[in-house]
Order: sequence, then C-alpha cells, then structure tokens
Amino acid sequence: MRRRRSIFDIMWEYMEELERRTDELMREVFEKPSWDLETRSLEPLFNISVTPDEVVVTADMPYVDPETVEIEKLDEDLIEVSAKMRVKVTFRDLGVRHREGEFSCFRCRVPLPVPVEVGKAKIRVRRGILEIRLPRRRGYRIEVE
Amino acid sequence: MSALVRVVEKKSVPEGLNMLQGIPDVGLVGVIATSHIIFNLKMEEVAYIDSDLLPPLTVLYEGLPHSPIRIFGNDRLLALVSEIAIPANALRPVMKAIVDWIERKKVDKVFSLGGIAAPNRQDIEKPKVYTVASNEETLKFLRERNMEVMERGFLVGPQALLLQYCAEKKIGAVALLAESFYNYPDPEAAAAVINALNQLIEVPVNVQELLEKGEEIRLKMRDIMRRTRTELAQMRKAREYDIPSYYVA
Repeated sequence: MRRRRSIFDIMWEYMEELERRTDELMREVFEKPSWDLETRSLEPLFNISVTPDEVVVTADMPYVDPETVEIEKLDEDLIEVSAKMRVKVTFRDLGVRHREGEFSCFRCRVPLPVPVEVGKAKIRVRRGILEIRLPRRRGYRIEVE
Repeated sequence: MSALVRVVEKKSVPEGLNMLQGIPDVGLVGVIATSHIIFNLKMEEVAYIDSDLLPPLTVLYEGLPHSPIRIFGNDRLLALVSEIAIPANALRPVMKAIVDWIERKKVDKVFSLGGIAAPNRQDIEKPKVYTVASNEETLKFLRERNMEVMERGFLVGPQALLLQYCAEKKIGAVALLAESFYNYPDPEAAAAVINALNQLIEVPVNVQELLEKGEEIRLKMRDIMRRTRTELAQMRKAREYDIPSYYVA
C-alpha cells in the first residue's frame, strides 16, 4: 500500500525544489556579466527567502537612492527590481581600466518561488540593502488530520 | 606538504611571526579585513599558493600576473589573503598545505578573520565578534582577554579546517567571527573583526576608512561574493545554523 505523504514529506520536497531552482538560477546568473552597458545597470546581489506568510527579497544596493526603487511584475512568478544610484560609477571606479562605461542604476530579475501579491509589496532600504516583503497568495490549505 | 598544492616563497620569510588569514567566506569579512591591513601596513608579497586544484586564472597588478592566493609580510606579521573563492573540493588540500607551511615557519599564532552569518544583520548596529581556539592554551589566551568564546556549534569552511589542522599540529590558532551578512560583502563586520583582533595583538590600522569606503567596497566585491556563494552552498555552509547534539561532550 502506498504510504500517505505527511506534511513533513511535502515540506521536504518543497525545500528540495526551492534549492534546485535556486541552484539553476545561480548557474544562469554566473554565465553572464553582472553589468549591462546598454542599460547602464549593475546587477545587485540578491537573496530570496520564503516564510509561511511572505516572500522576502533582499538586494545589496550600495549608493542606492531609496526614492527611486521600482518593482515591475513581468510574469506570475517573475519581477524586475530597479533603482537609481546616487552617484555614477565607471569601470575605472571599480578597478577595471581596459573597459569603458558608466553605470547609474541597479536592475535585476527575481524569480518568485511561490505565488505572491505584488501589489501589496512593502519596501524598506536600510544600510543600502533593499528589502521587499511580498505577501503570499493564499489559494489552498492543507488540513492536518 | 600536499603534492597537489605548493607554497612558493618569493622572499625569505622570517620564522616565529604571527599570521593573519582572510579567505572568502560569509560576507567576505576576512578578505576585506585582511586586505585592509595588508594595504595600510604596506606589507609586501613574500609567498603565494600554486595548485592544479585551483581555477586556471591569474590576477593582474600593474601589468604583471600574480597568484590569487598570496602571503604578505613585514618584520612583525604575515597575512594570507585569497582573491578567489577556494573551490569546495580544493579546500582540504589547500588548507593542509598552508598549515604545513605554517608549521615549517614556526608561526607563533594564526588569526583567521571571518564572519558568522546573522539572519537579522540589517538590524544590528555593532556586530559582535565571537572567537574559537585550536587548543586549551589558546582558549585560555582568549578568555584572559575577555573575548566572547563560541562554546558549541558547527563551523563549516576554511576556518573550520584551519582550526582542525592546527589542533592536530599543536599550533595556536584563533578564528575571529564577526556577525555579518551571509550573502553580501560586509565592511562593517570587517571593521568589527579588526577591532577585536587588536584586543589580542597590536595591528595598528585605522578602521574609519574601511567604514567610510563601505559602499565602494561592497560594489567592488560583488562578483567575488557571487562566486563565494556558490562554493558556500557546495560545502553546505548552512550547517552552521544547525543545533548541535546535546549529550555528546
């Protein structure tokens, strides 16, 4: 007889899936540079964590102007986060002399591991770290017998 | 020395000095702190690490190639710093070779600078610094100087291996771990770890500049942090969050 999956089995599978997707994302990110001359943007380091009530996205954005943070929903499970910097940064500023270019903003695409209400996002910037709290969309409930 | 890893001396290295280490780990705390010390004390490159296990890359400075893992020195202090995340599968042989070299150079004490991830780091004004010792004598040295000693828990990564190999060889080693971001470069934690180091040995550098240049440092360290994150995941760094078993002393 097939054993019924416990809530812990479901949670474990969910965590493994999340880890797998994060690994895929990391690999994808590494294959391209962390800057884009066309949009004059730098890709910030970001992190995604999931709590029972929300998805918390943080991004390291030194020199960020908190007033300029924008979140755009690109798909059900993808948002784009952008923000302007208070200063313009060149490759030379970053210690690279054999390339020309100037950067003035941050931009990154963040995959969302679970459904969220993007319109209800709360944003704060502290110590140059952007924190976006996205409430999870409630669609189902698992009854524990 | 491990046959796979060589420590190549470029200059004669005096024996009996203290040594600092900064290897990429959470928040790049050790790398930022050690680099700041090397730069401010104008230390010279005295040796470097070469290994087939490392990625095929060289770091260019003023037009000349250098190893990404180098040892700097002056007449009082040695300092090892790595500018690349050491691949998880190379970590054991690399750390073994470094500790073998430390033994040959009769290093007095090794101070490994680093961070310990604090989930609420954003809300911490002054990061605390915890310490770990490789042996009883060094533990006493820490307690006498009122350092906060980490009594129980797991350590994963270069500092864990350094302590273990130094313990085997009866070398005094201290890991200094400042509360830091896991995924983001953390110059404030690096300043905290330098201040804590100064309670143990005199390293006359000003951390104010480190704090003032914090944003610039974070921007410059993005790519090395990205690479380090992958290696941290490979070595299952998150085990440091695990609660240790209670009954086994």
